[in-house]
Amino acid sequence: MIRTRNIWIIALLIWSLSPLFWQVYTSFCSPESLIQPLSNSGHRWTLDNYRQVLTADPPFWRYLLNSAIVGISSTSLTLLLAIPAAYSLSRIPAKLARLVKLLMLGAALFPYVLLFLALLELARSFNLGNNLLALSFPYAALSMPLAVLLLASAFKDLPVDLEEAAKLEGLGLWQRLRWVLIPLVGPATASTSILVFLFSWNEYPIALTWLSRSDLLTLPVAIARIAGTSVYSIPYGPYAAATVLGALPLLALVMIFQRQIVSGLTQGAVKG
Amino acid sequence: MSLILQDIGRRVGRKWILRHLQLEVANGECLALLGPSGCGKSTTLRLIAGLDLADEGSILIDGQDVSKVAAVDRRIGMVFQSYALFPHLTVAANLCLGLRVRGISAAEQQHRVASVLALMQLEEFADRRPAQLSGGQRQRVALARALLRDPLVYLLDEPMSNLDAQLREDLRPELRRLILNGNQPVVYVTHDQHEAMAMADRIAVLRDGQLEQIGTPQELYLKPSTIFVASFIGRPQINLLPAQSGIVTAIRPEDVHLSEEGISCRIIDIEWLGTSQLCLLDSPKGKLRMLCNSQIKIPENVKVKWSSEKEHHFNSESGHRIN
Repeated sequence: MIRTRNIWIIALLIWSLSPLFWQVYTSFCSPESLIQPLSNSGHRWTLDNYRQVLTADPPFWRYLLNSAIVGISSTSLTLLLAIPAAYSLSRIPAKLARLVKLLMLGAALFPYVLLFLALLELARSFNLGNNLLALSFPYAALSMPLAVLLLASAFKDLPVDLEEAAKLEGLGLWQRLRWVLIPLVGPATASTSILVFLFSWNEYPIALTWLSRSDLLTLPVAIARIAGTSVYSIPYGPYAAATVLGALPLLALVMIFQRQIVSGLTQGAVKG
Repeated sequence: MSLILQDIGRRVGRKWILRHLQLEVANGECLALLGPSGCGKSTTLRLIAGLDLADEGSILIDGQDVSKVAAVDRRIGMVFQSYALFPHLTVAANLCLGLRVRGISAAEQQHRVASVLALMQLEEFADRRPAQLSGGQRQRVALARALLRDPLVYLLDEPMSNLDAQLREDLRPELRRLILNGNQPVVYVTHDQHEAMAMADRIAVLRDGQLEQIGTPQELYLKPSTIFVASFIGRPQINLLPAQSGIVTAIRPEDVHLSEEGISCRIIDIEWLGTSQLCLLDSPKGKLRMLCNSQIKIPENVKVKWSSEKEHHFNSESGHRIN
């Protein structure tokens, strides 16, 4: 029983992790060895790809920083709007709440790529192009349905008594949110933040169209640019190095918050 | 009179779950709201607290109509059935939160929390989270929080129902000492008639959102105004004899005695309870419960009787007391 389970786990890990390992492996290989995978030349291992990526103009950390700025600002904006919305959604009559949730689910299911032309028009008329913080508007808007739904179910799961006790203690609405409710939905907030951050970290079409100045690019756009720098060859090595560097911060973030993420995502699944 | 409910009604959809309720609770008086689940007792408490608003009637606290005042501003000290302690805060922080948002100075907060912790013998638990406390300790924290609210009215919603029987007995005198001896009106919701009789100065029995009877425990026990109250108050339960010409006769098990002459009965079952024993009898008038001294050896066939003064008579149609 345990042995078959282990085999399954190993198979699953290989399935999901091998592309990543391939990417890491590639990032340390010299271009020659990539073309001749079986040759035993002494030039197989190299840090050249990383050097190339990090010393390019602008250097790669610039893109990491851009993405971090966009990620943090869109996550903050999302939470700022989603928390009050989710709280209200969890307190309005059930029928109305169901309707609103249905509409939001519809919005979440809409393929947002179809929006990018319209969004581009908006960016142009409101002069939001080439502005990192402005990207958080579409990102927050697109993350809103998921964030509100996740947080609303977390608020809904809190015992009503707690908020009522806080009311009788004399805590007004904002005080209740600040001191009682938001701390208690912490795990759900953490998992929501990670998902929103992840979305903005990986988002491509909007970033591609809203940003053109090379020092303002976010990671996915920058990586795509590396891939397209030459017409005659595909720079697999630097490309792989860039993806590895781009994935590391996310990996760290998920490691730090993994307990909250899991408990937030499964909140309400099992009644304690 | 410090807490007055005037013709209070509460509706959910089209259904009235509480209607025409009149109650007056004096300062320092403890009124128990007693009834089966769904009778409206918790609803009444929520209306007084302002957690729900009444659809008709008004609520007066110290002569002020608070019907439209939000719960936040009502100055109510409530102990919830679940205790509703804030799970992310320590005991001390739980107690401090209300004081802080009500704008009490930090020094004063410290002083008041420390003194209430001492009063409740909770000092050593000040830095614990609610999850690390036992049921009895949580209940004391909840009481402490209500005390610190410095309220105009105390509301206790089944404060003991999550505790075991032993702890309940231990906590009753403590509750009396801390809250019931104060100068505020206390409304105590319970479905346990024993607890209501032990704690309350007066008991209001509710049924289907209507007031069935209100009075002192003695009044309710000795002169129940309806069959419902008669069977709800007093354990073991009162004997209801089959109706004869529209009249139901009821007799308490403790008023039924063994006797030389009387109704012949057969013993079906005996519960020996230490200080007494409860006999279930098969009599010509139906099954009877009899409570008698535990020292007596009971034969299988007995004769029982009771004094007719001890009988209660009710109209079998309306359930109301006759005489």
